[in-house]
Amino acid sequence: MIPIQYSLRNLIRRRANTLATAFGIALVVFVSSAAGMLAAGIRHTLMASGEQDSAIVLRKGSDGELSSVLEEELAAQVLSAPGIASSPNGRPLGTDELLVVAGMKRIADGNIATVSIRGITDTSFALRSGLSFIEGRAPRPNTSEIVIGKQMRGRFQGLEVGQSFELTRNRPVQVVGVFACNGSSYESEVWADANLTRNAFGRAGLSSSIRVRLKSANAFDEFRTALVKDRRFAMEVYRERTFFEKQSEGTATFIVAIGTLISIFFSIAAMLGAMITMNASIARRRREMGTLRALGFSRTSILFAIILESCLLAVAGGIVGAAVSTALGFVKVSMMNYASFSEMVFEFRPSAQTILSAVFTALLMGLFGGLLPALRAARIPAASALRD
Amino acid sequence: MSLSKLAVRGLLRNRFRNIATMIAVSVAVLTFVLLRTVITSWTTAADYAPKDRLVTHHKVTFVMPLPLRYVELVRQSDGIRLATYASYFGGQDPKHDRETFVSWAVAENYLEIFDEFSVSAQQKQEFLADKTGAMVGDVLANKLGWKVGERITLESGIFPSAPDSPWTFTVRAIYTASSSSVDRSTFLLHWSYLNDALPQARQNQVGWIATRTTDPKRSGQIAAALDQKFASDEVQTQTQDEKSFQASVLAASSTVLRAIATISLIILLIMSLVLGNTIGMSVAERLREFGVLRALGFESRYLVTLIIAESSLMALVGGLLGLALSYPLIERGIGVAIEQNMGTLLPHFKISPQIAAMALIGVIVIGGLVAILPAYQATSLRVSEALRKVS
Amino acid sequence: MSTAVAAASVKKEQPSVQAACAIRLHGIEKSYPRGGERVQILDGINLDIAEGSFEALMGPSGSGKSTLLNILAGFDRPSAGEVTVAGTRLERLSDSALTKWRAGTIGFIFQTFNLMPVLTALENVELPLTLINLPRAERRRRAETALRVVGLEDRMHHFPRQLSGGQEQRVAIARAIVNDPSLILADEPTGDLDRQSAAVVLELLEKLNREFKKTIVMVTHDPVAGERASVIRRLEKGVLQ
Repeated sequence: MIPIQYSLRNLIRRRANTLATAFGIALVVFVSSAAGMLAAGIRHTLMASGEQDSAIVLRKGSDGELSSVLEEELAAQVLSAPGIASSPNGRPLGTDELLVVAGMKRIADGNIATVSIRGITDTSFALRSGLSFIEGRAPRPNTSEIVIGKQMRGRFQGLEVGQSFELTRNRPVQVVGVFACNGSSYESEVWADANLTRNAFGRAGLSSSIRVRLKSANAFDEFRTALVKDRRFAMEVYRERTFFEKQSEGTATFIVAIGTLISIFFSIAAMLGAMITMNASIARRRREMGTLRALGFSRTSILFAIILESCLLAVAGGIVGAAVSTALGFVKVSMMNYASFSEMVFEFRPSAQTILSAVFTALLMGLFGGLLPALRAARIPAASALRD
Repeated sequence: MSLSKLAVRGLLRNRFRNIATMIAVSVAVLTFVLLRTVITSWTTAADYAPKDRLVTHHKVTFVMPLPLRYVELVRQSDGIRLATYASYFGGQDPKHDRETFVSWAVAENYLEIFDEFSVSAQQKQEFLADKTGAMVGDVLANKLGWKVGERITLESGIFPSAPDSPWTFTVRAIYTASSSSVDRSTFLLHWSYLNDALPQARQNQVGWIATRTTDPKRSGQIAAALDQKFASDEVQTQTQDEKSFQASVLAASSTVLRAIATISLIILLIMSLVLGNTIGMSVAERLREFGVLRALGFESRYLVTLIIAESSLMALVGGLLGLALSYPLIERGIGVAIEQNMGTLLPHFKISPQIAAMALIGVIVIGGLVAILPAYQATSLRVSEALRKVS
Repeated sequence: MSTAVAAASVKKEQPSVQAACAIRLHGIEKSYPRGGERVQILDGINLDIAEGSFEALMGPSGSGKSTLLNILAGFDRPSAGEVTVAGTRLERLSDSALTKWRAGTIGFIFQTFNLMPVLTALENVELPLTLINLPRAERRRRAETALRVVGLEDRMHHFPRQLSGGQEQRVAIARAIVNDPSLILADEPTGDLDRQSAAVVLELLEKLNREFKKTIVMVTHDPVAGERASVIRRLEKGVLQ
């Protein structure tokens, strides 16, 4: 086999061409890696919203909390089902909540964006095991005190501890705390007292969902069976984790699909670039290639040497593209979450898997881009050492 | 030998490389046009909305309802010719629970103001006469296999029905649209049917009110006057012309649109790299040739123009190829699939002439730009140096 | 002034004195199609070259001497005839077998040196050794020895662009002998060199023949180079004179 320095140094020799081609590949890898990281971020955020051993109850047929409408009385029925853990004061650990969206003015560009507002009770805090206050405190029940998730801080008018704003006309509320919750979607929400929310938004007597903490993950079946036994029960019961996983799938899959489609087109262009560069490289080396054959190197060894060159080029570009894409880890994207029709903040989540598959894509580009030139090179006869 | 002839001959030389480059350019243009069409299609609903139609909704969010009595108050306002109303029904067919579509519970005179639906007079009559009737877009009807006269049931996440009396409708009319910017997957039902079945607490509410003004030029003022009227009433309103309303719904998706726009620029960047690389190599191989031409008396300026022309020509051919590919792909292939499945979001998935022009001009300009540096490098050599270069 | 002109060889089968005969060509013909016609390059060549001989193949341009060299090296196949080099019948070998054979048997020296620009002198000389399975240390040792023979061991880490034409050619010679081939073929080895460097290179070739007993066949149009050989053959219009 032809020594590896031959392939490596030939790349360095034609610096400008190598850099241009590698840069193109780096761009492609950057884009596809970014899409993968965003999808991972979406999945993480939405999945972190679901607890391991909790269940959520929604209206049958609704695809999210926003479109689910439950009568307030149903909460009592659900909370009396078996399998629910008890809170310290002996009552079942569960509550109903109301989710609405409201338009608020974004500070960044002055546009109105929709914000999720969750009407909660103090049990709501106990139900989220990863929740902690990073500033301020929990709101007092039945008051106009509210708290916000950490991603909302400073994004909209009035969302800082100590500030107040009008939730709806003549309904002022005061921000008393900021909470973090495992990077989940709750961090993009505003939490206010449930009854306050119901009255402010004309939803008296209604809820969106009922959440309970089960005695254990295994208690789910017992819990669900007891509820759906009643034929008039127009609700559906899900494990929280499963439910949020489903929600995230939609948006995440969409992003991955778009990212893949775009990457394919981009890859074709970058691959053609690699092919052109490699082809030119061997065209100038006809005599060299002929000499190698004259010295006794087989066609296959020349084929491999050229493909290796092409792959080294591509992988170098791929590593750069992947490395730069990890810098996106510092960027936050505020996007419309179509499941809840409100604005949510997502992060890019770098992972070993995205980086490896990105570099692998680059490798494939190098392989296919270099194939044709390599085949051409292999066909150069030994006699070219003399003639050309 | 004219400049253009020389440019063409120049391109014919290294056929493999130049053809590969043109293919790369065409792929880039194809992707660019596809992405830009997504953006224009997304924002097109806003462009096509008639200017004299106003939409009045709850000030805080369009998800919250207005009292029914507001409609009459609006109708009697200054500058209003016609007023109608509708509520979002949020219906879903339990037999096809994967299919999502938009459903509106509409007032009796809805079709007078929203006149872009094409439907036969007879079907329209029957729809208006039947309280449980439904008017369905043809794309939706085809997808779900509904025919005129068929009885169907829907579930609503927003208006839950008692388990023993689900929402039942008879399909009375199927509409198409003359303009392709209209969504043909909408389901229209009667607001009165919905309202009569609701508990008292939820009756007599409408999602939004749409009006036709007497004078489109005064739309802004008429809208402001309406909001003023309700400023101290039970519920505050926000009135905008339909285009602004759509635009504000869009603003919520601005991040996605901006991302798509950025990506479309990245593909142009990749294309520039490939083009620049090729033209750079091509010039580097011909340094001696250019030296000879200059020794013969051709001015540097002439050679620079020649090189730029060659590059732009190569880009142009690639661009035309890319456009030629994108029309059938987008308008027939992907476009039809998108209009059918994402019709509410992207109703008019067609390549606008501006995009085609933008793509072509952009490609030519880029072709010229990437050639400038190699061209000047080639002609800045002293003739004696150039003649010494190996071919 | 050396020496004789060899007569066209006798068309009789030589018995197993194959060992003494490094090269045997019998009835070699070579033609190419060009523009619808066939152009005859070599026309009935018969040639025996003894082992340990230093032969020069001379003739005007277009006489077919490079083509003949190509056939001897196995770069090209004759249209007709038999080629036996170092006891092997070349026409019987497949393309890949020919390549393998060549690696172990032939050392080739080119007019244009043909060193790999991206490898150092030492790495260039090591190149043929990577074809056989040698441990790295052994490979390095042999390459250094070869460079010592040509007198360039102090430049072994230089790249070709840092060497003069004559030095490049000497590195190329080191590359040609590193595998200890039975036969050295040289195509215009001094064609791209000035008088002085040419003399050094020819000295070297003579040394290889005299001291190391290498069989050398050299194609050249330079009479000064031709004089260094022990046998001169003339080729004219595809026929040996």
